[in-house]
Amino acid sequence: MEALSLLLSGFEVALTPLNLLVAFAGVALGTAIGALPGIGPLNAVALLLPLCFALKLPPETALILLAGIYYGSGYGGRIASILLNIPGDPGLVMTTLDGYPLARAGRGSAALAISGIGSFVGGTSAVILMTFLAVPLARLALSFGPADYVALMVLAFALLTMIGENSPAKTLAAVALGLLFAMVGIDGGSGVERFTFDSIELVGGIDFTSLTMGLFAVSEILILVEGLTVGAVARYTKGAHLTIKEIVFCIPAMLRSTAIGFFFGILPGTGAAVASTVAYIAEKRVSDRGTFGKGDMRGLAAPETADNAAQTGSMVPMLALGIPGSGTTAIMLGAFMMYSITPGPLLFTQRPEVAWGLIASMYVGNIMLLVLNLPLVGLFARLLLVPAWILYPGVLGLSFAGVYAVSNSAFELLITTAFGVIAYVFRKVGVPIIPVLSAFVLARLLEDNFRRALTLSSGDPAILVQSPTSIVLWLLTVVVLLGPIFAPRLKSVIAEGSDPRDDRSSGG
Amino acid sequence: MIDRIVGGIFILIAAAALGHAYTLVVPFAADPVGPRVFPMIVATALGLSGIAICVRPGQITLEFGDWRRVIAILAAAIIYPFLLVPLGFITATALLCFVSALAFRARALPAAISASVTAVFFFVMLDMLLDLPLPRGPLGI
Repeated sequence: MEALSLLLSGFEVALTPLNLLVAFAGVALGTAIGALPGIGPLNAVALLLPLCFALKLPPETALILLAGIYYGSGYGGRIASILLNIPGDPGLVMTTLDGYPLARAGRGSAALAISGIGSFVGGTSAVILMTFLAVPLARLALSFGPADYVALMVLAFALLTMIGENSPAKTLAAVALGLLFAMVGIDGGSGVERFTFDSIELVGGIDFTSLTMGLFAVSEILILVEGLTVGAVARYTKGAHLTIKEIVFCIPAMLRSTAIGFFFGILPGTGAAVASTVAYIAEKRVSDRGTFGKGDMRGLAAPETADNAAQTGSMVPMLALGIPGSGTTAIMLGAFMMYSITPGPLLFTQRPEVAWGLIASMYVGNIMLLVLNLPLVGLFARLLLVPAWILYPGVLGLSFAGVYAVSNSAFELLITTAFGVIAYVFRKVGVPIIPVLSAFVLARLLEDNFRRALTLSSGDPAILVQSPTSIVLWLLTVVVLLGPIFAPRLKSVIAEGSDPRDDRSSGG
Repeated sequence: MIDRIVGGIFILIAAAALGHAYTLVVPFAADPVGPRVFPMIVATALGLSGIAICVRPGQITLEFGDWRRVIAILAAAIIYPFLLVPLGFITATALLCFVSALAFRARALPAAISASVTAVFFFVMLDMLLDLPLPRGPLGI
């Protein structure tokens, strides 16, 4: 049981006082931020990223914090979904279907409790699966050559077209733009300046924090201030507590949903939104007796469990392959890069304290979250009452302070605002923004591997399709891109869970 | 119609990127493809996506809410970097938050109070507690 001994060494990292404190801060902050309407995990992780870096936290500590916010937000997000019928993130749309009717029927606290337990079951089971699957997956990836990596990344981009209501052409355009943004600056291979428009400030390239803050925090505030999305009235009634019988009643649904959630989580590109939709639909097929949508506990437990299992699952490809499984993991991948750590197969051998410390911290974090979310949920529910005019100006101020703290440059703030405007326009015209971020993060790796492959073959492009692995990956890419044309229903089933107003469908 | 414009803009960006990539000639590159092939492939992909959007445009209706509020926040965000160093973090951020709070329909007095508290709170937290230096402005705070 090699994985267990490695996990034990991970606990030595995760249980140091600093890392315990940081994990607690992360999950508590994650729950709070998840509970705030309009600020998803993606924004939360993006907001704290510059701070971690500017504070010079050791890499494993910074990642424990960011991961804590990520999976903590999966717990917090359910609060607004159940009590206000406002899903803060597309992964939570399904939670509202049975959660809000339960709250209206006076069982708000029971609904919060069962979904908290579901989140715990999904999150913890997914960490257990991750403990045993990450290393084999990383070993498999070790046999990948440069050409295989190129094919893998192209497949990851192709998978992004499966989600959301956006047309595949727009998703691909977003990927291409993300790659172009990443090329700004000096080319590492030849020293030549690309896309710098003769500006000295752009020679160093576009800063990752400026891009993320602009794309997500600034554009979100611009969308919110327009006032097209209106919140419903809060109602929080306590009512009868959850009974043991009800928990037992939901266990089969939770186990099924864990498997579904984890599977969709590890597929790069798909994420919590797809996972929770499929889990809800599957559970409805299996157990609906006309009660789903009217406040069935299982209809609430299933998507919540899948949502959290998918969040954790999406960290598996990030750690083992270096390919983000969702928008938020793309930001975490950026965090690795800011620390000059390359996630992927070698992470587990070269920086085991980072990989295993992070995994071990997630066991601890999920237990902390269960404690935080069962007795203290009322505290977090109060956060729903913070008025928008205090909250969002604060978010704007904090994101600018974060960009400035990392770059020490006022010019970067203008870049941030520029990306905010670009993302605002993109969201208006239905171009998704998560693919821009995923592509930006992967661009360097993609180009390096592409050029390395062609160096190996002295410029013959046939090398890209020669190994069995790359052939399989290219074939999968073709299936993913052409699949919806031949099976249009498939896409509509998957797209059902995504929020048409937003493109955060890759799991937040 | 809107989709056609979007597709058209993507095609223009792609053409400009292709043109730029074409000028990237280096006397010596460490690899056979050099710095220009990858941008050219990406630009081609962008152009093809743009064409695909133009050929099969979807139906989008552009909905704008209260766009003057968006402009107000944008203006504050653009002016902010120019005020940050001369005025210092607290004053500049308080102004930014004040304008944004008004844009989020706050009344003037509560907006001023919450903006000042937010700015001071961030300064204390980031500069003093977390030791991340922020611009101090003329008064040294």
